[in-house]
Order: sequence, then C-alpha cells, then structure tokens
Amino acid sequence: MAAKKIIGAVLGLGITFGFCVFVYAITNNKVVIGYNQNYEPTQPIPYSHALHAGKLGLNCKYCHTTAEISRHASVPPLNVCMNCHLTVRQVNGKDSPYIAQLVDAYMNDKPVQWQKVNLLPDHVKFNHAPHIKAGKQCQECHGPVETMDRVKQYQSFSMGYCVNCHRRPENNAPTNCSTCHY
Amino acid sequence: MTTTENSLKNKSPKYWLSLEQWRQDPDFQRLAEQEFSNSPLREDSGSEGGWARREFLKLMGASMALASFGCVRRPAQAIVPYVKRPKEIVEGIANYYASSFVDGGETFGVVVTTREGRPIHVTGNSSHPINGSGLSARAHAHVLSLYDPARLTGPTKNLQNEKKTNHDTVEVTYEKADQEIADQIRKGKVAILTGSIVSPTDAEIVADFAKGTGAHVYTWDAISHEHYVDAQEHCYGQAVAPRLALEKAKLVLAVNCDFMGTWLQPTQQMRDFSKGRKPGDGMNRLIVIESLLTLTGSNADTRYRIRPTQSTAVLMGLIQELLVNKKTSSYAGDTSVHAILKNYENEIKAALPEAAYAKIAEELLAHKGQSLVLGGNDVSSQIAANFLNSILGNDGVTVDSRRSPNMGFQGKNRNLQALIDGLNKGEIKTVIINNVNPAYAAADKTGFVEALRKAEMAIYVGRCKNETGKYCDFVLPDHHPMEGWGDVEGQKGVFSVRQPTIEPLYNSRSFGDTLIAVAKVGNFGALAKADSVYTFVKNRFETKLHTNWTHALQEGVVDTVTAARAANDSARPFRVAALQMAAHKATPHADLELVLYPSIGLRDGSMANVPWLQEFPDPITKICWDNTLIVSPKLAQDRKICEGQMVRVKVGDKSVTVPAHIQPGLHDSTIGLALGYGRTDAGQVANNVGVNAVHLSVVRDGGVETSGLPVMIEPTKSYETLANTQVYSAMSGKTREGIDMGHRQIVVEATLEQYKKDPSANIEREKIVSAWSGFSYTGYKWGMSVDLNLCTGCSACVIACQSENNIATVGKKYVSQGREMFWVRVDRYYVGTPDEPDAVHIPVMCQHCDNAPCETVCPVAATVHSPEGTNDMIYNRCVGTRYCSNNCPYKVRRFNWFNYPRMTPELHASPMHMQLNPEVTVRERGVMEKCTFCTQRIHQAKNQAKLEDRKVHDGEIQTACQSSCPTNAIVFGDLNDPKSKLSQMLAEPRYYGLLEELNTRPAVQYASKIRNTDVLKSEESPHKEKHHEKHEEKGGHHV
Repeated sequence: MAAKKIIGAVLGLGITFGFCVFVYAITNNKVVIGYNQNYEPTQPIPYSHALHAGKLGLNCKYCHTTAEISRHASVPPLNVCMNCHLTVRQVNGKDSPYIAQLVDAYMNDKPVQWQKVNLLPDHVKFNHAPHIKAGKQCQECHGPVETMDRVKQYQSFSMGYCVNCHRRPENNAPTNCSTCHY
Repeated sequence: MTTTENSLKNKSPKYWLSLEQWRQDPDFQRLAEQEFSNSPLREDSGSEGGWARREFLKLMGASMALASFGCVRRPAQAIVPYVKRPKEIVEGIANYYASSFVDGGETFGVVVTTREGRPIHVTGNSSHPINGSGLSARAHAHVLSLYDPARLTGPTKNLQNEKKTNHDTVEVTYEKADQEIADQIRKGKVAILTGSIVSPTDAEIVADFAKGTGAHVYTWDAISHEHYVDAQEHCYGQAVAPRLALEKAKLVLAVNCDFMGTWLQPTQQMRDFSKGRKPGDGMNRLIVIESLLTLTGSNADTRYRIRPTQSTAVLMGLIQELLVNKKTSSYAGDTSVHAILKNYENEIKAALPEAAYAKIAEELLAHKGQSLVLGGNDVSSQIAANFLNSILGNDGVTVDSRRSPNMGFQGKNRNLQALIDGLNKGEIKTVIINNVNPAYAAADKTGFVEALRKAEMAIYVGRCKNETGKYCDFVLPDHHPMEGWGDVEGQKGVFSVRQPTIEPLYNSRSFGDTLIAVAKVGNFGALAKADSVYTFVKNRFETKLHTNWTHALQEGVVDTVTAARAANDSARPFRVAALQMAAHKATPHADLELVLYPSIGLRDGSMANVPWLQEFPDPITKICWDNTLIVSPKLAQDRKICEGQMVRVKVGDKSVTVPAHIQPGLHDSTIGLALGYGRTDAGQVANNVGVNAVHLSVVRDGGVETSGLPVMIEPTKSYETLANTQVYSAMSGKTREGIDMGHRQIVVEATLEQYKKDPSANIEREKIVSAWSGFSYTGYKWGMSVDLNLCTGCSACVIACQSENNIATVGKKYVSQGREMFWVRVDRYYVGTPDEPDAVHIPVMCQHCDNAPCETVCPVAATVHSPEGTNDMIYNRCVGTRYCSNNCPYKVRRFNWFNYPRMTPELHASPMHMQLNPEVTVRERGVMEKCTFCTQRIHQAKNQAKLEDRKVHDGEIQTACQSSCPTNAIVFGDLNDPKSKLSQMLAEPRYYGLLEELNTRPAVQYASKIRNTDVLKSEESPHKEKHHEKHEEKGGHHV
C-alpha cells in the first residue's frame, strides 16, 4: 500500500512539475507548438545562401524567379544552377564534391529532393506575388538569409505573425478570413 | 389532425419536388423537417477505425495534453524542383490548352486547364462554333477519365485457349505485338471495327490502312442514330446527319426526340435553342410530344403524352391536317400520300385529340420556314418528320444537311451484323477493334462474343480492358484523348485540334499510331511510309487548311463555314416514295411499351467508371448510382408498384430485374429503362452498378429498335433503396402553424403574354422591415444571376463545380442517406398534376446572403461575411456543430460526415487524386463546406489585377458553373459596378431572390421562367383538385 502511495505521489508531482514547465515554456515562447520556427533541416546538397546571396551578392529573384508572378517563389530547377556551374566547378581552388553532386544530378536527370524549410499548413493559402508587389523585402519574413549557411525558418509563420502585419493601417491589407483560408 | 394539417391535405403545393411532397406524405415532411438523416456516429464509425467517435474523443481529451508535451511538430516534406523546367511552366500558375473532345458523335471544343503538367479541369472553348463556352456534364468528367485506375498500363497478350475462356494475360512489347499482328494481317481477311470516326486524320489513316491491307471497315456506334441517317437517305438520297439549326427556328416540334439530352449534339442544340429564348416578341416556342419525361420535355412550352409507337401517327396526323385539311403544299393532291394517311386514320385519332392537331398545324403554318420538326428514334417517324420539314420549307433552313452537317453518327447495327456474319462464315479472320465495346453495348452481344471467338486473331485498341477486350488476343492501350494528337471535324468545315496536355501516363499508343506501326512492320501500302498522327494533323492544318499551325493550336479551331452556317440552302427534293417506308404496319399496340434510353450521365456506358458520372443525379429522376424502371404514377397504382420495388421486365424471352421509380409525366402505357449501366468489366466503380438493359432491345430489319418494345412487367417482393437526391434539401421545409411553407415562392413562372403586360408578372415581392442597416460594401460586391428561362436543367454545372472544387464522391450508400456533397444542385420542380406536370429546373448554390442565417449561429465564427459580400467558410475553424446547415433556408451546406477516401476507397483510388485542384483545400472529415463563388478564381483575378495596378474587369471572373453553362444562364459579376453586365441585368424586373421574405438578401438573383404558352399548369387548378381526390380514394401507392 505504502509503495503504491509513494508511486502515486511521485507520479502526481512529476505530472504537476511537467505541466508547470510546459506552461512556462509556452508562455515564454521557449516552445512554439505546431510551428516550425527555427527549423533548420540538413539538405541533400549543403547549398549555402551565405555564399551565394551574401558573399557573391546574387539577387534572391535570380533563382526564385516566380516570386513576383506566382503564389510560389519556387525552388529553382537545376538548369538555373547550371547557368553558373556549367563552368564553376571549384571552391577555393579545389574541386567541390557538392558541385559534382549537382552536376551529376543535372546530367542524369535526377531531381534533387530538397527539404522543405518554411512550412505553412494546407489550409493556409499564401501568395508571394502581391507581397512583393507591395514592396516587401524577402528578408522581412525570411530573415537575413544572406547570412545563413543553412537556411532556417526565421519567423513562426503563425496566424498572429501574418495578421500583425496585415492589421497595420499603412499596409492596407485585407484581414478577412478568406484572404488566406479558402 | 390539426387545422393546418387538414388544410394542407386539401391543397397540394403548387410546385413540388417529388410525389411524396405532392401527396403531403408524412415521410416527406419528416425528411424535410430534419436537417440530417440519422446520426451516423454509432452505426458507421465502427467500420472506420474500431472506435466509436465519441469514446474516441473522450480519450483524446485526456491524452492530448500529455501527447503535446514539448513535442514540436516538424513534418519532413520535400520540395522537388524540375531538373530542366519547361519554359511554359510557372509553379502555381495554370496553363491552358485548346483541344477537343468527342463523346459518341457529340463534339466539343475545349480548353484544358493544367497545373504543373496535370490536366485538372475542362472548360468550353468560347471561340468554338459548335459548343462555345458550354460543356456537358460528360465533357467535364472527361478529365477524370484520364486518371481512371482501370486504364491499361501497357500492351498485353491474352493467353486464350481454343474457346477463349481463359483471360490470363502476359505483357508483351509493341515490337513483338506489331510483328505478330502484321504476320496475321498478311494472311488477309481483315476487318476493322470502329465507332463513327469524326477525325479526318483517323479517317485518312484507317482508309490508307484498309487500302494497304485489304481490310474492310465496319462502323458501329453504341448509341446509334442510324434511323435518323437512314431516313435522310430514303427521303433525300443522302446518308447525312443534318445539323439542327435551332437558332433559326421560331417553333420547334419534338416528337420523342430528346434533342437537349442525348440526341445528336445536345450541348450545341441547347445553346442554339437558347438564342431564341429571350422573352418578348419573337421568342421561340417548343412543343414536345413524348412518352417519357425527357430533359427536352421538361423544357417544353406545351407538352403532350403519347405512346412510343404513336410517334409516326402524330406526325402523320399533322401531315393530314396540313395537306388534306389545309391543302398547303404541292403534295396536297398526291394520291399515294393520301393512301398512306388513310391507313393511319385510326392511329391518328388515338394518339392526340383532333383539336391538338389543328392547333399545332396552324402554328406550324404560321412559322413556315422558321420551324423544325424532329422525329423519334425510328425510321418511320423520321421520314414523316422529314416530310413535314420539306412541306413547311424548313429543309435547308433549320435542317442543315449541306453546309455544315454533323460528321459523326454514321455507325449502323447492320455493319456490326455484317462483321458477325463474316466471322461466323470464316470470311473474316482478323479483327482490329478501335475503342468500341460491342460485347457490352451491342443489341446482339452474345452473337458478337460467339463470333469473336471464331476469329483467328482479335486485336483490341482501347483505354481499358473491358468486356470486349477480354476476348481479344492482343490488347493494346490507347492514349486518352488528352494525351495524344488528333483532330476533330464534328460538323463539316469545323476543324478542331486535339493536342496533348500531359505526357502519356502509361505505355500507350494512339489508334492511328498503332495502325501506322503495324503498317510499317508489314509494309502495307502508303501508310508504311507515314510518320505519325502528329504529322498528319499538322499537315492537314498547314497545307490543306492553310492556317498557321501555332495559331491553330492557340485557337483550337479553324472554322471554314462561319458564313455558310448563318446562310440558308435551297430545299432538297423529297422522294415521296420514301413515305411508303413509313406506311402503317398493322402491329397491334402492346399493353405496355418499353423505351430504352441513353441516360444523360452515362450514355453508352463508356465512361461508367468515372465516379462523378455515377453520382451525377439524372436531371429528371434525380437518381444516381442505379438505372431504374420508370413508371407513371397511374401505372404504379394499377400494378401496385412502389418506389424501389424490384420489377421483372420481360421483352420476348429476355428479362432483367430492376428497381422501379415512379416518375410523373410519363405516358401511362410507357415504361423506361436507362442504358449505360450494368458494366461487368469496367473497373471498380462501375462494375455491377445497375443492369445492362441493352439486350432487351430488338433487332428488326438490321436496325436496333429501342423504343416501343412490347413488354411485360412483374413486380417482385424485394425492394431496393434508391439514391435519390431530390428527397432531401427541400426548401419548402417545415410546416408551422399559420405559415404554409409548402407554397413558398421558389420558382416563378409567367406566360409570355403575362410577361409582356408586366415583366415582373407573378413575382410576389415582400415588404421587409429590417432592424439594422446591413453591411456596406466599399470595394467589390460579388453577385450572381440565374435565368430560369435559359436553364434547361442539363446539370453540367454540377460536374463543373465538382471538378473545380475537389468535391468528393460518396457512393450510393451515403447518397441515399442524403450525404451527397454537391455544392450546386439543380432542383427540378414539377408543377401541375403528377400525370401531366410541367417542370422547372432551378440551380441552387450558396446564395451568399447579406444577412446570412448561417453566420449568426456559428459558435466559432467559422462562417463569416467578407467585405466583398461573399459568405466565407473557414474550414480550419469549423468544429462541425452543423448549426449553420440547420439554419440555412436554402439547404446548400454540405457536411463531411466521413473521411470519404477511406470509407469509399474505390471512388478515390490512385491516380484520381491527380485531378485535384491545388487552389482549393481538400476538406477533411468533420467540417462543413459549401459553394464559395469559386473564391479561388476571385483571388486569382484580384491578384492579377493588383499586379497590373487595375481593377478586376467585368467578366474576368467566371465561376465554374457559369463557364460550363451551355445557355449562359448564369452570370457572375460585381454588383457595386453599375456598368457590369450583372448590374444591368438585375435592373430588369424579372429578377427575384429565393425566399426573399426571410430578409436574407441573397446575392444570387433568379429570373422568372417565361413560358410561351397560353395558360400555366399552376393556374389550371380545377383539374388538379379532381385528380388529387382520385389518388386519395385509392390510397395512393405508398412505400
């Protein structure tokens, strides 16, 4: 009997403690449930935005060509990579195994399976084009991508995040539900 | 019995949806009053996962808190970009390709919407002269047939034994198959069996192949128009299928001819007919004399009922009236004509009252050269109709046989019979079958299968291994029309391109390319040097039609007869001798006559495995997932047949057993049964749905007779539940003390005379006092109008909506529980008595009310009003209380009771998901859904306008239902723009809102139906009362 009581008490305490940690974490943004802020998956080819967008200064829209016209900014097809990498095969004077990986995929018609970083649930419809049209910079939502070796989801992309911006009068953006949910 | 009930008993509603409603059946009241049929939570969830839903929720509540502890969801998803992106593709933006589609002989110019290389939707090609922007339900379903799971994936060889009873197959390569086929063809005695070929390229290839191999071509169509073409040959010496130039007809008389449903080119015919439908002076008039209640009959201004075998007699009666009594034509003195008429004397008297003949004849005379007479599906009535058209001067005007006649409809049962005879006699050793399925659809299908077994080699080219394919030695998969090149000449001089819109999904090859490949291997004639179907097509457009190929691909159609179509021809001389063929044969009337008719959804059954078409409610019966024996209320009463009772139908020594459906408006000696059902080797969806009625048809003089068959019926003791969608969703709903809801204003009709006196005739406007000012709309305010005068009820919009909005099919079981998911339904109201009702079709979608009753009751604000006047449904917010649906007076909300892909996996099998529209959320179980006014299209247009710094143009947004409508009955637009087409239309006094008295202020407005007739059925009251009493006495025919 006593053993059972002790176990019960320990369990009860444990659960209470766990709950407290949980509440603390939630209320202090230590954990964001259901969102993927700071999600930073490894990619099949360790492509560096810091190098391409930062050091080399490529414009975002050089690769993400459809951001101005479509819902998707779109991950570039390999033929865009090959615009440069047809000749550029070396990094710091050494043959790069990663570029070789890219060339191999391109030559053999094997698409690269990139890991999706920024995630919106299916019931949210986001469209890049009007945001670019409104003069938003990519970095406002995606963060300083030009400094990221490996890209991560910079913002929570929670509904609150979106609506905060849409609510500002200067943005003149709609806030009715079917703007995003339909 | 309370006073209200009593008063209702004595007064049936003016407009009624079903016999149950007309009789004020307590069952109907019960169903109408409850929003949902029994809760399925207990009965069904067990089979879904082993947990009753509520128990599951209780446990979930407890476990949720624990489960979510510190758990950060990171679903790993991949993005797989193209290696080399085709330059025409932008992710997230649709591409549109002009193409064409052939269904039986009906042809369509279409625009195929593709997303990232997948065709997802079909719309009409507005510059196409045949169908314009309109489509049929079947043409919309065409896109899903591309992803039919039953499609063949590669060439196979059947391991047939001597008797061809073994259906095991092995895979072969095309090279091996071609070699074996070519070797066999060298032995000679080759036949090609094909449906009507409306592609000039295919015709050329088949002709070349026949020349090179000595093959004989047999043309046979599952749904035959042979009587129409034969009659033309007898009367005018030309075996053509004339175009019905309905746009020139001020008076149309259709005798057992469903030209809006399934006859010739119904989509074009509805479109052309609607052009003369504008109320006012010069509005056309439609008189229908028929046995079944067809779609055409339901649109008639005046309708008479006859037996199927009386079609010719009625037309002869009119000839008599015109020639003998009115002496109008040069044939008036022809004694041979008189002799034939004399023969028909008794028949004529029996068919219709004398006054009716006189009246119709007078009208025909008044519209000489501006009328059109259409006969039924038998040679004699067609000949009589031709004669009438000739003496009325319609030939060459409304009957277009030279300038742009139909090119299809050349198939004949005689040809199939010749093939069977040839096989039986050993005169044919090799048969190549192109996509037709006689083992299912031939009148003499057993004879065909037996004959086919005698062939040394049978080669089947088709998309699925069907009833015919399984008896063939080689089964070679054909491209879906969306996968290959081709061309279509649906009507003479109208050339459409068919271009591929997707890489072939499987290892398939088009019929033309198959013939070319075989010719190459066997070195058969000129075809051996040909390249491919593509070069034929390109060559035709570039060198023969002298068009720019790119331009032809963009436009999709080259119309060489634009001017000719509008002009008139001289009349062809009528061969009076042909009338002898229509001479009266002394066959006594059977007690009961059977009509086998192609259903509007399934037609010949070739696309039966497309779940959309199986769940497509028939525009008249509103029944899906079954073919039913339709009987008139009086016959049902006499023979004691109840709704859903299984009835044995016997024609000669053949019989089938089918459930009965009591159908108002039928002739009392006629019963009807739809074709296209009862497939056995079509695939998981269609197999064993309904019965195959085709073998009840009778072959006489080489032709197939499908109407007026003498039949015996024998009710059995078993019953079947029918999936009837018109039992539920009754807007006339509850009966409350003092409010007679059965007589609400839903559809409004007026005669042309009433309309001329008062354009808002018969519309009862309510004086509404509102307590609040309502919303104000500063930007756009979306609205819609539906013209009941143009709506024919064809229900193309239903499938268009399903295709655009990812609406799930749910299967027979759930439809019969009232769980179908259509966002737009077409209600068919009867008016008048059950024996002789008129019908009104009314498409009902979400009305997007300004004062929406649904919005105020949602506890979680999942359905809210947008600043643009639409009523939005936010799926992710919905918790499934269903209050909104309960409070919706229009009954347009649909609840996802189940995870349908899991509950009915055969209806959602892979790769059908490839059709899903990525712009529309796929709704999950437990959420409410409804028409959104195609909000994704609104978004798309608004975004485009934003990118171009402008406002949305009027007409830029077309909802799916609007763009599918053959008669342009639906218009969508901005009500805040006084210059928009919609605003200007709504200024007409003919528009009203549904259930305006509830002050919902709907954004959808309906225009009243104007009938070009003297008296409305709803105003012929004394007759109705009398009839009603008769029903009551005999106790009705209650289930």
